[in-house]
Amino acid sequence: MKKTAGKIGVVRFPGSNCDQDVYQFVAEKNYTPEYLWHLDHFDLKDYLALLLPGGFSYGDYLRSGALSARSPVMNSVREFANRGGPILGICNGFQVLAESGLLPGALVKNARLRFIDDWVNLKVENANPFWAKNWTGDKMYLPIAHGDGRYYAPADDLKKIEDGDQIWLRYVENPNGSLLNIAGVMNQKKNVAGLMPHPERAIFDWMGSVDGWSFL
Amino acid sequence: MNQENQKIELQKRLKHYRISVAEYEMIKSLLGREPKPIEWPLFSALWSEHCSYKSSRMHLKKFGKTLNASVLNAAGENAGVVDLGYDERIVFKMESHNHPSFIEPYQGAATGVGGILRDIFTMGARPIALADYLCFGEISVTPIGLQETPIGLQKSTAGSETSTTGNRMGFLVDGVVRGIGGYGNSVGVPTVTGQTNFDKSYDKNILVNAMAVGLLRPGEKVALSAAKGPGNLVVYVGAKTGKDGVHGAAMASESFDENSEAKKPNVQIGDPYFEKLLIESCLEVLKKDLVVSIQDMGAAGLTSSSFEMASKGNVGMSLKLDQVPIRDSSIQPEEILLSESQERMLLICEPKKIQVLQSEFEKWGLDAVVVGEVLQERKIELWWKGELLTSIDPYPLVENAPMYDRTFRAWTAKNKVIDKSQLQNEDISKKKYTEKLFGHVQFTSRKNIYRQYDQRVGLNTVRGADHDVAILRLPDSGRALGVAVGCRPHLMKMDARIGAQDAVYYPALQLALRGIKVVALTDCLNFGNPERPEIMSEFVASVDAITESSLKLKAPVISGNVSFYNETLGENIISTPAMGLVGLGPEDASFINGGQIPQDVFQHSGNSVYLVSSAKVFIGEISKSQFQYFGEPDLNAWTELVDAFTALTRKVEISASQMVGRGGLGWTLAQMSLGNYGYKGAFAISSNELWQETLYQAVFEVNETESKKFEIFFQNNKIEFKKIGEVQADILALNDGTSFNLKECKKSYELGLRGSIENLA
Amino acid sequence: MKNYFGVKIMPREVILDTQGRAIEQTLRLNKIPVDACRVGKFIELEIEGSETDAFARATEIAKSVLHNPLIETFEVSKLLVSR
Repeated sequence: MKKTAGKIGVVRFPGSNCDQDVYQFVAEKNYTPEYLWHLDHFDLKDYLALLLPGGFSYGDYLRSGALSARSPVMNSVREFANRGGPILGICNGFQVLAESGLLPGALVKNARLRFIDDWVNLKVENANPFWAKNWTGDKMYLPIAHGDGRYYAPADDLKKIEDGDQIWLRYVENPNGSLLNIAGVMNQKKNVAGLMPHPERAIFDWMGSVDGWSFL
Repeated sequence: MNQENQKIELQKRLKHYRISVAEYEMIKSLLGREPKPIEWPLFSALWSEHCSYKSSRMHLKKFGKTLNASVLNAAGENAGVVDLGYDERIVFKMESHNHPSFIEPYQGAATGVGGILRDIFTMGARPIALADYLCFGEISVTPIGLQETPIGLQKSTAGSETSTTGNRMGFLVDGVVRGIGGYGNSVGVPTVTGQTNFDKSYDKNILVNAMAVGLLRPGEKVALSAAKGPGNLVVYVGAKTGKDGVHGAAMASESFDENSEAKKPNVQIGDPYFEKLLIESCLEVLKKDLVVSIQDMGAAGLTSSSFEMASKGNVGMSLKLDQVPIRDSSIQPEEILLSESQERMLLICEPKKIQVLQSEFEKWGLDAVVVGEVLQERKIELWWKGELLTSIDPYPLVENAPMYDRTFRAWTAKNKVIDKSQLQNEDISKKKYTEKLFGHVQFTSRKNIYRQYDQRVGLNTVRGADHDVAILRLPDSGRALGVAVGCRPHLMKMDARIGAQDAVYYPALQLALRGIKVVALTDCLNFGNPERPEIMSEFVASVDAITESSLKLKAPVISGNVSFYNETLGENIISTPAMGLVGLGPEDASFINGGQIPQDVFQHSGNSVYLVSSAKVFIGEISKSQFQYFGEPDLNAWTELVDAFTALTRKVEISASQMVGRGGLGWTLAQMSLGNYGYKGAFAISSNELWQETLYQAVFEVNETESKKFEIFFQNNKIEFKKIGEVQADILALNDGTSFNLKECKKSYELGLRGSIENLA
Repeated sequence: MKNYFGVKIMPREVILDTQGRAIEQTLRLNKIPVDACRVGKFIELEIEGSETDAFARATEIAKSVLHNPLIETFEVSKLLVSR
């Protein structure tokens, strides 16, 4: 993304818990973060991009991301996506984007049925034009922390995703049983992307990795 | 009613409300009359061991003298606030949820986490870290069958070979771990460290202690709980009140094999989602100065919060119980007063601010309901549908609760030998140490547990649960904040005084090895039946030992919790005074950024390995889990060791370091070899010396350029050190000739507890 | 013969149903309010044998394994066709 200080919207649902972390990340990168509340509609013309943070929006009840995907703010998010605006969903944000149909597939319970907090290596399968687009390294080292991170899509859809170069990131070692080792996907236009790992948790050396710094 | 009937009626009441005859007489003389029906549950709750600390209060007072100028607002609040300088303040506390976790491990552990978080944010501090201290019974290695088998429903296995305790223990470990993770992860507070012990004495009474650390950033105000200002409104916020936990007391005594609905305890259900809304909204209204005072509804729910707020503020309160939001229309006033429904807060608000307050909470989807007002006169009026149930002075209920001087004996050392050669350690010389040691439940990796906890949410975590102690980064000053828990049951079993000293010193030394000086302590004192003198003696010895250690280290005890009656069928647990420590790193923020903090495992081939000793107590394992010791604890020497270690990391670059613990030097070296490099001993040390624990020793890895500085440092400090070997790739050859196949060791270690409890992460 | 049973598991009345509460709130926010919402589980079992035996087994399984009596109730019903 171009280094002009502009506004980036951070969509906030009740139960989001990485909203403040993502907000801080945006600020560290010298953009202007702004919270977008789940009940609001927004004129999204002013925003360079939108971020959907991790957490347990609406408690992750019913299904992860399911209730959030139907909240009022998502109408504006959808509109923004249709106009080609860049959107990134991290962890629970990814689940919300998948539930709302903006990204293909679904995130289901981890293969071992338990929450996993760990560090993973990732391979960039197809570069995204907006997020981490300047990444040049070989493997990306990022932390994961999720209970429902196993990527699933029916075989036909998977083929379409693969053929359309929509697989963004793959796990080098699959931690959760995701099909095709998928850790992140994009929509066809590639302006909407989601990933389970947390780039905002790897932006300073003391965090254990700086590979997340390139995402914004 | 004739006299006989009245007597029986009274007996029933006393039993139901668990009030002794002597206490009943006290109540009558305080009131100058018989208690009214609604007053029974009030006394029952506020004078319970849990709320009044009646068996422990007279001893806990000793902690008061550990407080120093760095502690703010200590009196009467959940916890003291520790001033770290630069207007950064922390508040932390540890609390037990042992019994509920044994009944329903997932919800028991989850609500334990929820409760301790409310204790912290009710003081205006944002929770930034969780830690847990867990003790389970013995794990059978038999595969686990029906995972979700609740208590009382196991098939009878009388005469069969597999132990149900083992199966049930696996179920408990899994449930507790999922519960802690399920709540902490969702609410967005990282679980950064912990300790998990296994011992037979916890077979029928597990320990689940959760600790939370909160941070007040520069400019943020501490919130207090004393009610103020007659005419101000009493506001109820959060979940609706149900019958949760009302019959909690019955939990202990009833068995659950009968399926009758009435007999089932009303398990408290935690909702981390709701808690998250409460945290954000409460911190928001505090920041906007919309609240006079605030208190969470914990044990004994609305009763304890309202009575304590009024008593502390020396004011009264009128409460309309029928205005309290309820989940169950059949609920009675007594149940409303005693309900332990989770995720509820009580606030005092000025009338002119109530509308703004309500709309702030509404934004988060929460109802803020006015349930009463503050009165000038110190009395609590309880109203139910227009009827005044009682009007009672809260002070005697809160402050004049009975206090018992339970029988105890002065401490005499147990298991002490007078001649070092008497420490037989027969076991050690006979034992054959193999790679299997690395999969043993006492020693193996806890990764299957902490992997289920989000350790990094909040962006403050420098070192998480895969390290000996956790390190967080204070976001404003950039300084390091260390968090550690302590208490090693095998030492408590050996000698309660030494065990309790160690519960403070061992984690303090672990922090010191990372350049972090302990600044304050919290305790969670898990003991058996205090009416038994031998238990009470251990309790008093522990409190004395903690007080003394705290004073020596100048680290005040800022909060605490006592859990008595950890006794099932006459069997008491090992006395377990769990400690929570928080420490502070150097002034210089580059300490974190520069990566100067020593690692836990060996870093580079060719580096020297040193053993540093300030050996005062030598421990021998005379038979399986039976320990004896020689020597005398020397807190002055140990305090000097803490100071030396803390200073060392600022002066010398240490590649890796670890305290020697259970399993002695041998296990410590083995554990440090589980990264990318191994170890080779330079000269012979006897097996006895190698595998037995000594209080205290530490192992250091130092590179060539730093070793001179390292040696001079300890020479100057007059602390004994010697080079015992060096780091080598791919081998682990200890000084007594034992060598291990490192690959096998790692495999065994990494399988961890999953070797015994299949479905951990 | 093959028998199909459905086991409905619901949170006990006195127990707080956190999922139900969250869904109820969301529906309200989306202006499609309901009076109450409770969330449980539905489990299908396929059991070979006589209907009475199979039903007894299904009930036993539901009772001792599938539900947690401290926080849940269950109900077993016969299903005509599975899936």
